[in-house]
Amino acid sequence: MTTRRIIVEPRGLASLRLTLGIPAASVLLALIVGAIFLALTGNSPWEVYRQMAKTAFGSARGLSETLISATPLILTGVAAAVAFKMLVWNIGAEGQFIMGAVFAAGAGIALGSGTPALIAIPVVILAGGVGGAFWASVSAVPKVYLGVNEIITTLMLNFIALNFMYYLIFGSSSPWRDPEVSQFPSGRPIPDSGRIPEIFGSQRLDYGFFIAVAFAILAWFLISKTRWGFEVRVVGDSSDTARYAGIAVPRKFLGVFLMSGAFAGLAGSLYVAGPVGALDPRSLDLGLGFTGIIVAALARLNPVAVVPVGILMGALNNAGPSLQSIQVPAATVQMLQGAILIFAVAGEFFIANRLRRPEKKPQVAVAAQGGEA
Amino acid sequence: MNRMNWRFLAILALALSLIVAACGGDDDETATTEAAEPTETTEAMADEEPLKVAFVHVGPVADKGWSWAHDQGAQYLEANANVEITTLESIPEGSDSQRVFEDLAAAGNQVIFGTSFGYMDPMLAASENFPDVAFLHATGFKTGPGMGNYFGAAEEGRYLSGMAAGAATETNLIGYVAAFPIPEVLRGINAFTLGAQETNPDAQVQVVWTSTWFDPPKEGAAAKSLLDAGADVIAMHQDSAAPGQEAEAAGAKWVGYNTDMTEFAPSAWLTAAIWDWGPYYLQTVEDFVAGTWEPTAYYGNMADGMVDLAPYGESVDQATIDLIEERKAQIIDGSFNVFPDPIVNQDGAEQPLGDIFSMDFFIQGVIGSPTG
Repeated sequence: MTTRRIIVEPRGLASLRLTLGIPAASVLLALIVGAIFLALTGNSPWEVYRQMAKTAFGSARGLSETLISATPLILTGVAAAVAFKMLVWNIGAEGQFIMGAVFAAGAGIALGSGTPALIAIPVVILAGGVGGAFWASVSAVPKVYLGVNEIITTLMLNFIALNFMYYLIFGSSSPWRDPEVSQFPSGRPIPDSGRIPEIFGSQRLDYGFFIAVAFAILAWFLISKTRWGFEVRVVGDSSDTARYAGIAVPRKFLGVFLMSGAFAGLAGSLYVAGPVGALDPRSLDLGLGFTGIIVAALARLNPVAVVPVGILMGALNNAGPSLQSIQVPAATVQMLQGAILIFAVAGEFFIANRLRRPEKKPQVAVAAQGGEA
Repeated sequence: MNRMNWRFLAILALALSLIVAACGGDDDETATTEAAEPTETTEAMADEEPLKVAFVHVGPVADKGWSWAHDQGAQYLEANANVEITTLESIPEGSDSQRVFEDLAAAGNQVIFGTSFGYMDPMLAASENFPDVAFLHATGFKTGPGMGNYFGAAEEGRYLSGMAAGAATETNLIGYVAAFPIPEVLRGINAFTLGAQETNPDAQVQVVWTSTWFDPPKEGAAAKSLLDAGADVIAMHQDSAAPGQEAEAAGAKWVGYNTDMTEFAPSAWLTAAIWDWGPYYLQTVEDFVAGTWEPTAYYGNMADGMVDLAPYGESVDQATIDLIEERKAQIIDGSFNVFPDPIVNQDGAEQPLGDIFSMDFFIQGVIGSPTG
């Protein structure tokens, strides 16, 4: 006979101390396990962590590169957070990100260099949001009206979006393709008037980072501070309750789905109108939409918490290659990055659940325990 | 609950002290190696500081293909010059790689080689931010005040390996696992086909695109589909040996690329166009040290040794080898040009050869679309 020696039970509402403390402890634990792993593979953990911190935050250039990497992750993280909060399982941020980039690059090219930046930049950015929402609607509408499982459709549409982008550049003479470069199919550059300007004095960082943070705060405001957001949260907690309270559940569902797609699309437009500058498949096919799901999970689906988590992920991404220059193999770097993520996500379990020993009441159980010990 | 907290803290403390101990131990080791190394170098190289040189590769250097060939060149450089080499592998192409190149420049590397096409624009941008560093980009077409590029006439080796393939095929159908529809790859396919047609006028070459440089499962699957379609010789452009392993399993023949890959498919192996980057890397670094380096476009070939032909497989008969060696000698002395001008295209029409660096068509005998 087996007795459970530890009982797992839902914690209900976790205290603020736990909510902040456990993720911090998880990251710490991840670093410790990573250190053991590094020591066992013959690397100095101290050197490795110092190199990571130095690369990601140790100089103005390093910090600006971290923020560049963080910008798309913040918005794809927000996209996943707002959707999952309402139990909309939008796994399609990757595809919505790419369609956002396609729309944004298309708008920038269509406007041409004659349009004043004051008009061109907002149009390019918002076109990305429209592209992302459009791509989300391909899954959202069948879900809401026909009950088609959105996990499958959003996942599949990622691959369609990806191949569509490759088709625009590699497979056709589309307006997105640069006709002046015959040596390799390349994206046509977005005119400077449609590009998000770089911050004065920085080497590469543009205002896209601050726009992303502003959108994250906007998402938080919509969900937490508006009547619409309240109704959305009610639907997320229990759609039966919501229906009983007279909330139009399908419409809320559709709204959240499209909003999620729009945020992923905005990530695409900020990226393509920021550091990339053209619909370049090699620069965009990096799994930034998928990574957004991890960011959202780490941020406990809170759109504002997505910002620091996005910066942390950006730092990890930024620091990775530099470890190779202190002789840490590329595969070890990827394993270390993976370990940190697994621990951080696992910590979530301990916020949501409590572990305790069973109370000693039945005699049998005590006897059994004694026998095992 | 309280007791558990204490136990947790105790374990945490134990773990932490272990880590600190581990770190300490490693630090000592580093210190000893650092202390030991300079004496060795001083003996060998007077007391000059070694020049810091970096290589950035798109795949793992253990691919035994493209990146491996460049890494062999880096090792040749290391053995023949006073350099300290940093190698970064599996760095994705695209705008994000600019950061990697700038990090290397900021870390004091003076000469930086990027060995994949997709690093071109990021390297050019990085070279503008670090004007004192020499950036060298393989396979591209852009140069700048601080960036040169380099590549070689793989089509010469492709033609010769095509001759071996043409002689080997019995179904007269050769499968070609192609990477991206770009001039470099199209040049290779066309040269290979011309070579195959020299030894077998009925040979046809069927092309499948993978849109990859290094993705063994995808490239293996593409080879398998070609074998299923009736091809009995497989050629390829990518950096993995997967197509060769599929050919070996199917009892077919295989023309590789980049390096001698006999070991992966000993009975399928015919030959391959291969690279020898070492002498170029050494020359570039020597020029840089001497202050005579210029950011030019360098195009090597068989005559200067950058391109060569791998050892022949067992199944290549002596008559074919003699034929190939004769052509090879003509290519090296300049009396034979791989591409005729005018050239007969896929539709059977004659057209001027044009600039081979922007080649965008297939020749007669190739089955497939040149646009991917």
